[in-house]
Amino acid sequence: MEVDILLKAVGDTPIMKTKKWAVERTRTIQGLIDFIKKFLKLVASEQLFIYVNQSFAPSPDQEVGTLYECFGSDGKLVLHYCKSQAWG
Amino acid sequence: MTDDKDVLRDVWFGRIPTCFTLYQDEITEREAEPYYLLLPRVSYLTLVTDKVKKHFQKVMRQEDISEIWFEYEGTPLKWHYPIGLLFDLLASSSALPWNITVHFKSFPEKDLLHCPSKDVIEAHFMSCVKEADALKHKSQVINEMQKKDHKQLWMGLQNDRFDQFWAINRKLMEYPAEENGFRYIPFRIYQTTTERPFIQKLFRPVATDGQLHTLGDLLKEVCPSAVAPEGNRPGF
Repeated sequence: MEVDILLKAVGDTPIMKTKKWAVERTRTIQGLIDFIKKFLKLVASEQLFIYVNQSFAPSPDQEVGTLYECFGSDGKLVLHYCKSQAWG
Repeated sequence: MTDDKDVLRDVWFGRIPTCFTLYQDEITEREAEPYYLLLPRVSYLTLVTDKVKKHFQKVMRQEDISEIWFEYEGTPLKWHYPIGLLFDLLASSSALPWNITVHFKSFPEKDLLHCPSKDVIEAHFMSCVKEADALKHKSQVINEMQKKDHKQLWMGLQNDRFDQFWAINRKLMEYPAEENGFRYIPFRIYQTTTERPFIQKLFRPVATDGQLHTLGDLLKEVCPSAVAPEGNRPGF
C-alpha cells in the first residue's frame, strides 16, 4: 500500500528533480531522509530535517502512512525538507 | 479544566519506583550497586537519569563508556516514548520495582534513536506538542505563542514544575466557546500485540448528530479488537 508524497525544498537546500513519489505506508521518516540524502548526493554526516505542515518535524521512526492519514490533503502528503532546522 | 485540577495533578505527579542495574558484561573497576529512583511517568528516560549515569560511571573507566541506553527483559527502551507508556506497555503486570538494565556499550542502532544531548529531547517533545496542536487547533495556538512560552513548557517538564507547565499548556487545552471541542483529538494507541508502532488517526470529539464522542466510541472506531461486544469482558 502506497501514499503519494510531494517533496518541497526549504531555503538553499537543493531541489529534487523528481518531487512526487509514491511511498510505502510503512516507510519511516528516517527512511525518507536517507533516500533524499542519497538522491541529492549529500554526505552521510550532513543533517536533513523533514517537516509536516511547515510546523513540526516528525520523529524519525514515524510512518509515512500515519502522517498521510492525519495530515494529507488532496490525495497527497506535502513534506518540506531542509539542511538546517527551519521551524524549530 | 479547573474542575480537573486534581486529575491533572495526579497524572503529572505519577511515579514509577525503578531499580537500575548495570548490565553484567559491562567492565567495572569495582562492584556496581543498583540504583533506585522514582521515575516521573510523564517524562523521558534520558531526561531524568543523569544521576543513574553518574552512579555507574563512577565505577567504570572512561574508555569503556559510550552512549547510555536502557533495556527491560531484553527489550531496548525507546527514550522518546514517555516513561509511563514504556512501563504500562512492557512491565505493568510485573512486581515493583521496575527492573531496568543499564548499558554503556553496543548501542542497538536498529531499535533506538540516539540521544546525544538534552536539546534532542526538547526538540522531540516540542515536535510532539506541535503535532498535537496541528490536530487540535490547526497549529493556531502553538504558533501564536512566543518562543519564551515554548521554552516555559519545556522547562516546566524538565524541572518537574506543574504550575509552570500548565500556565502555558492550559492555552493548548482550550477551544473556542462556540465549538464543542478540538478540531481533532490527538491520540495514539499502543499495543504489544501488534507490529505497528501505534494507531493514530483523525477523530473528531463530536459526532455529526452533536453527541460528544466517548473513549469507547474512539476505541470502537479505530481499535475494535480492543473492545468487547456488549456483555463480555474486553479482550486485550
